Amino acid sequence: MSPEQTNLLQGTLDMVILKALRLGEMHGLGISRRIEQISQGTFVVKSGSLFPALRRMQEEGWISSAWGESETNRRAKYYRLTKAGVKQLEEETAKWERIVLGISRTLEAS
Amino acid sequence: MTKKRKLRWLSRAVSFFRNVTGRQKDELDIAAEVSAHLDLLIEEKLRSGMKPDEAERAAHIEFGGVEQVKEQVRDARAGAWLDTLARDCRFALRMSRKNPGFTAVVVLTLALGIAANTTVLSWISATLLNPIPGAAHTSDLVTVDRGDRSKIATPPFSYPDVRDLSEGTQTFSGILGWHDDSMSLTGVAKPERIYGALTTANYFDLLGVHPILGRAFLPEEGTLRAGAAVIVIGYAVWQNHFAGDPQIVGKTIQINRHPYTVIGVAPTDFTGCRTGLRTDLWIPLSMDRDVWGSNRPDYRSVVWLNVIGRLRPGVTKNQAEAEINLLMQRIVKRFPEDHQDRSNELSLDPLWRSPFGLNGRLYKVLPMLLGLAAVLLLLACANVASLLLVRSVGRRREIAIRLGMGASRKQIIRQFLIESLLLGLLGGTAAIAITVWTSRSIVAFFPPSSLPLTHDEHIDQRVLFVTIAVSILAAIISGVLPALRSSSLPVQSVLKEEATSVSLTLHKSRLLSGLVVAQISLSLVLLVCAGLFTRSLQKAQQSDPGFEASHLLLASYELSPAGYTRATGPAFDRQVLDRLSALPGVESVTLADFSPLSFSIHSDYLQIEGYVPQPHEWMEISRAIVGPNYFRTLRTSVISGREFTEADTQDSQLVSVVNQAFVDRYWPGENAIGKQVTDSGARFTVVGVARNAQYRSLTSPTEPVIYLPMYQSFRPTMDTTIHLRTTGDPRAMAPDVEKTIHQLNPELPLFNVNPLSVTMQLGTLLGRVAATFAGSFGLLAMLLAAVGIYGVVAYSTRQRTREIGIRMALGAEKGGIYRLVLDQGLRLTLAGLVVGTALAVAFTRLLKAQLFGVSETDAITFTSVGLLLAVVALVACHIPARRATRVDPMVALRHE
Repeated sequence: MSPEQTNLLQGTLDMVILKALRLGEMHGLGISRRIEQISQGTFVVKSGSLFPALRRMQEEGWISSAWGESETNRRAKYYRLTKAGVKQLEEETAKWERIVLGISRTLEAS
Repeated sequence: MTKKRKLRWLSRAVSFFRNVTGRQKDELDIAAEVSAHLDLLIEEKLRSGMKPDEAERAAHIEFGGVEQVKEQVRDARAGAWLDTLARDCRFALRMSRKNPGFTAVVVLTLALGIAANTTVLSWISATLLNPIPGAAHTSDLVTVDRGDRSKIATPPFSYPDVRDLSEGTQTFSGILGWHDDSMSLTGVAKPERIYGALTTANYFDLLGVHPILGRAFLPEEGTLRAGAAVIVIGYAVWQNHFAGDPQIVGKTIQINRHPYTVIGVAPTDFTGCRTGLRTDLWIPLSMDRDVWGSNRPDYRSVVWLNVIGRLRPGVTKNQAEAEINLLMQRIVKRFPEDHQDRSNELSLDPLWRSPFGLNGRLYKVLPMLLGLAAVLLLLACANVASLLLVRSVGRRREIAIRLGMGASRKQIIRQFLIESLLLGLLGGTAAIAITVWTSRSIVAFFPPSSLPLTHDEHIDQRVLFVTIAVSILAAIISGVLPALRSSSLPVQSVLKEEATSVSLTLHKSRLLSGLVVAQISLSLVLLVCAGLFTRSLQKAQQSDPGFEASHLLLASYELSPAGYTRATGPAFDRQVLDRLSALPGVESVTLADFSPLSFSIHSDYLQIEGYVPQPHEWMEISRAIVGPNYFRTLRTSVISGREFTEADTQDSQLVSVVNQAFVDRYWPGENAIGKQVTDSGARFTVVGVARNAQYRSLTSPTEPVIYLPMYQSFRPTMDTTIHLRTTGDPRAMAPDVEKTIHQLNPELPLFNVNPLSVTMQLGTLLGRVAATFAGSFGLLAMLLAAVGIYGVVAYSTRQRTREIGIRMALGAEKGGIYRLVLDQGLRLTLAGLVVGTALAVAFTRLLKAQLFGVSETDAITFTSVGLLLAVVALVACHIPARRATRVDPMVALRHE
């Protein structure tokens, strides 16, 4: 892990995955690559975190999955956002923004 | 928001269900996804220019451990805990199978402890908690009683009073009254004595009992003038006497030779309002005149009804009690002369301690037995806890390895608790099997008697539920200590030092010693209780009841259903006496309207010459109607004056005999002979004083009794009991007595033909129940304590094998080694005895009221129980001590 990389903050993994899936359906590897890409290499999602999270979010009903074929004609499981997932993403984003705002204000104040 | 939450729950529930049911498919799916993911990774690496083997390694490094990832996914899915639970259970099952001896001992110990509780509970459930089987919402029902309820069990109310209370009350949704009476079912091949009730018309409706055939009484059938000859018969009568005839409703049957139209059949389980006592059929009380020729419902001064009321919803017992007392005071003010002799204070009781039926007696004894059973269970738990602890020490390495491999403390505790839960539930299952048998055992305590006893003890849902709860509780109590201990092992030292860690053993044995002390002290408590009950029962049975019970045969009949009247009855009784006294082997014979110690003595309101009752004093006094030669036959000596003879007839002066207690109470220091007592308007002159005899119970204080001669106070409706003193075995006379009576009247049912020594067992019923159960609990407790102390001493001796070997190698004598081990056990025993004695002194104070003739700190009981336990402990320690002396030092030292 290079010095610029960091672990995701507790509780934000779900939000980041949902965000990644916002653009369209994607398989597991695609999701982790997408997160690396959009965070410009800051976040690395390990398989040991990614798969349990995907599993949990499926059970919450935020995402759904189906087997499909990759660009290179390989079998892969594809995940997509559900309506509940879209709503969840919006809620978490709003919440996150409030937190960020709050923290920045606190830091500026001192 | 709520909708969303609901959706999320639904989604999780669906996943849960899928995870539980589609286990196999799910596993395949996870595996497929993981391998697909790896393939994609490898492909990516290849594309970036790596060589195939390089690419594969890099992919695996990036992915991490395949199995770990799978496991993490499994943990994330809904219901993951179920998997863990199943795994722990499988492991627990394997452990218990691996060690069948240990499992059997633990399960049996727990089973006995739990079964003791569930047995008592099944009785409580069948009596105190189910006071009127078949009735609806019995918790809203209360009994209404009058005066000091502990003294006299006669019905408290007159019909006009019940009617007025019932019409005036706002707190009750209804009040019912009934009178229990023995009757004869006539007009059938063999007339039979049955137990009927004369009831108010609202009886069935208020209880919420719906006949399975026909209907209950209509309101107009209860009104006095219209007295309808209708009857509701019980299920048993319907089955036994009418073969379950489906057309029975509308048919006519005969009670006391009077025709009744059957209007309904009561449900199977409904047997009247007196817990433990059976009612066979029900008649509106307006029929009193037709059947018995008396007009009891008309008089406010005639008390003959038991009363139960149903509280309106939301009304408390205290509110109802206040209101009904107010109503009663108004009635008393209007009719002072009808209420002057007795207490007019009314008290309400919930049915679990109803004065009508057995609950009034059981509600004190059964909770006490439950307390003893709880002590036994605690003891069993202590025993199991020490067994588990001993075993957990043997499993130290296993636990240390698991902790070392990264198992959390929580997981170890959970594993241990699940193991003990499994043992607890096995114990509970065995306990239910035992209880199926023991719950019926109370029946064995009831002697044959004239009381219509019913037994309905069985395992119901309530008992089952509590059994399961108690099993779990017992498992937790006995499992939690070993679990906590084992999970806090110092892993390093255990793995390094193997089993030689002496410090650890000693550390643990302190806890073990504590458990042994607890076991010995608890078993001392139980044994002391058992000893006190047994001695108290012995004292009661040895006590002089004031009559001689051996060689006496009893047999009863009732004349009025057979058509005898006040005029013809005495002649029949005389014939009976003449014929029976002529039989060979008969020493003397007499008649009485009761028999001792079978709850059959009656009482009357008396006015006593020269005695002014205290305000509110209850002047209802035990009254016995007895034939000539009663005192001679019963061998109750007449202290002064004379006893009744053939010459005391309706034509001679009315006479009476009183007992010594009567004289002491009402005419202390005076000569009773010649004084007068008024009963129901008739004045009886006292001609004799008899010594005291116990008629209600062997253990209650002697109470005043008045005896009236049979021919002067003859009532055809009373049960007449023949008392026959024989020279040989009274049982052998039974056929001759029955033959003689049937020669005189073939239609007359003769019932309850038994020796007095058998029927009077009813008087010691509760004492025998208490002694038997406390006794078996005590013996069990002693056995458990013996096993406990043996286990701990044997175990710690084995732990000290090396030490003992060194001692022997250094020249210790065998005797010294023996004492060394024995000392350890005896120190524990002594500590247990001291703690136990203190506990027992505190505990037995609660039993004081149930004891007779022994003090609750009876020195003999305490000493002998202490000695007994000491001897048992000595024997239990002897075995491991002797084994220790046989230790071969060479083997012991090489051993580890």
